[in-house]
Amino acid sequence: MRAVVNNSIAVFYPQGFLDGINSQTLLTLEDIAATEALKVDMVLVSLKKVIFFNRNGLDTFIKMFVRVRAKNQATVGFCDVDTKKYSAIKKFYEQDLNFSIFKTKEIAALFAPNFKNEAKKVLIYSSDKSQRAAMAIELHDNGHNPIIAQTQEEFNQKSETSGIYDLIVTETYLGQMGQKIASRVTGNAIIYTISSFLDNEIGTTFNIAYHNNSLNVGFRIFIFDAYKVISMNVHALNFFSKLASAAAEYNATICFVGMTFEKTPESFKDTLEDAGIMFFDQMDDILQNKELLQELGGTGPAAIKQKRAINKVLVGELPRFIDATVSTIEMMTNAKAIKEAANVNHIVVEHKKDKIASSIGFYGDIDGMVILVFPQEIAKKACELLIGEHTDDMEMILDSLAELVNILGGKVKTLLSDHNVRVDITLPRTYENIDSLLEIIEGRKGVQVDLSFDDDKFLFFLTR
Amino acid sequence: MITKQQIDAYIEKIPPSGAILKQTLMFLNAGELTKAAKIAQNDPALKSYLKSIVNKPIYGFQSEVSDISQIFGILGVARSQQTVYNYMTSLLSPKKWVLFRLNAQSFAELQARLSNRWKDILEHVHIQDKDIQSAISLLPASIIVAEALFCERLEEVKLLRSVKELDYNTILYRLCKVDLFDICEQIAIKWEMPSCVGSIVQGASGVKEVANPAHENLAKWMHLLLFYELSQSLFIEAGLNDFIDFQIDFVSDIYEDFAQLMEIA
Repeated sequence: MRAVVNNSIAVFYPQGFLDGINSQTLLTLEDIAATEALKVDMVLVSLKKVIFFNRNGLDTFIKMFVRVRAKNQATVGFCDVDTKKYSAIKKFYEQDLNFSIFKTKEIAALFAPNFKNEAKKVLIYSSDKSQRAAMAIELHDNGHNPIIAQTQEEFNQKSETSGIYDLIVTETYLGQMGQKIASRVTGNAIIYTISSFLDNEIGTTFNIAYHNNSLNVGFRIFIFDAYKVISMNVHALNFFSKLASAAAEYNATICFVGMTFEKTPESFKDTLEDAGIMFFDQMDDILQNKELLQELGGTGPAAIKQKRAINKVLVGELPRFIDATVSTIEMMTNAKAIKEAANVNHIVVEHKKDKIASSIGFYGDIDGMVILVFPQEIAKKACELLIGEHTDDMEMILDSLAELVNILGGKVKTLLSDHNVRVDITLPRTYENIDSLLEIIEGRKGVQVDLSFDDDKFLFFLTR
Repeated sequence: MITKQQIDAYIEKIPPSGAILKQTLMFLNAGELTKAAKIAQNDPALKSYLKSIVNKPIYGFQSEVSDISQIFGILGVARSQQTVYNYMTSLLSPKKWVLFRLNAQSFAELQARLSNRWKDILEHVHIQDKDIQSAISLLPASIIVAEALFCERLEEVKLLRSVKELDYNTILYRLCKVDLFDICEQIAIKWEMPSCVGSIVQGASGVKEVANPAHENLAKWMHLLLFYELSQSLFIEAGLNDFIDFQIDFVSDIYEDFAQLMEIA
């Protein structure tokens, strides 16, 4: 079985009965190798639909945890456990519990290094004092607001008050956590949390692929939350200088917040400033200053400095992109597509109202970006299959649209690899209105294909 | 991709029970095993199927049983009827499986395992109704239907499943508002099985309400049995573990009883 990956969290959903024999059939060595190759921040095994398990059944997954952790430093563990399952796992691995157990997948996501939701107010309780502290620290590092209940009575009292907490964390155990640098998204800014001593390890703990993907999909401000940094050496200095130079190519800005130079040479600050990095005392100095954010590019994405023209190779692959798009949308909407027009030029979107868009980048043997512009009704129809019901909730529609574009990206990747063209895909990005899309691709030429699905107009745009 | 029309066309293609099968079932229904065997003898495919099923290790016979009247005698009325329904289901199965990694042998194994366990369950809950015993035959039919409907668009279904933990049944329902259990019920109607059979099979989806409490209880056992058998290595390898969405809450009150009956440690 393969994991379902979303927001850099890979989740396995075994069903039924898990014992030593069938768990090895469920999770083969190839599956483990594929999971290692995912390079995600968190690998979870949901026990929601497992009615029976024994230690041998779980051991197969724990072997995978060990391998994934050793290779990717990801956080690993089980999720969706009720009281009975939680107690059973703790009992099985009493002396050897180095993976995590999360009551729900939602709770697990709070501890993932990268998350895109708003900061949550979280009530925490564990009978183990060190666990309470560990959870609070992790949540705080990830930008949440943890509140610790010190006793069961205090927890009962606090949890009874409804509506105060976004989430309540109990029956959760933190094993070894991932060592990657945490990142979170606020509006169009990405915040990375760094701490302690910064040395050449930063090269392995910083997810450079994620950072590059974020640049590719239009993020322009990157903030390093450095309140907990004690010192930095010359290797880390070089790393950040290079990062700043790379960001400059995209007109992006890198900022440090809360960094003190008591144990770090003051000259490092000058070097970093020369490389274009900005320093602030408080996070709010940036996030609450709308004018500054605008200037830095954090409220609206800036256009890429170096516009690149669509090339012959990309045009050659166009039929594959179109096929992938059409068959995916046809499958999701149950409607037949008719190709109406195709031309090479700047994107032209008629009747911008009631349209939403999404984009996904790809890089490797060839690189570029696929942009899809949907009438809201097609988007809703396409997403209905993923959501399971009709919805007008725009946030939900945009989330599902991102998943849809992810499916499309996956399909393109497979189609291209069948023709020996290797590419990786970036995170998908969605646009609630067409103007914010146009800001990103302003001035770029590409191939525009107008399609019609049961008389609804749909636009495909391939650019670089 | 998959339309309601395609599903209707598929059900239309399902053959109604032929004259020999109809007569065999009629005699079995009346408890006339000898007459049923005499009729069944005239259908070589049925004869061969009955022989292959009853000589499986799960039936535990030491020497080969080949005579049809002997087979019916060993199985008894209810199980003979159930086995004939299993045969009718197997007639629908594809020559080559694409979506699920099954073959005629492993599919027959699934039928045999479900049938035997279902018999044990019905004995445990003190139900002696040959129509209810036959209800289990329809579940493998839904596997055949899923295979037939999805195999043409395999890649798309796989991609969809890679971003959401959707089982095949949910995908079909979201696409067509008809699920695999609805299709099973339609097959039951086509084969003139009593209405309680359709109701129990629908309930075994774990998500549909069953008005009759006794039928609901049987639906829970059937759901859990499916849960249990599709967790066996052979069927996990076949890809059947992702067949339907298992509902733990639906079966939680009978789980202990089930675990004892199946001797789950």
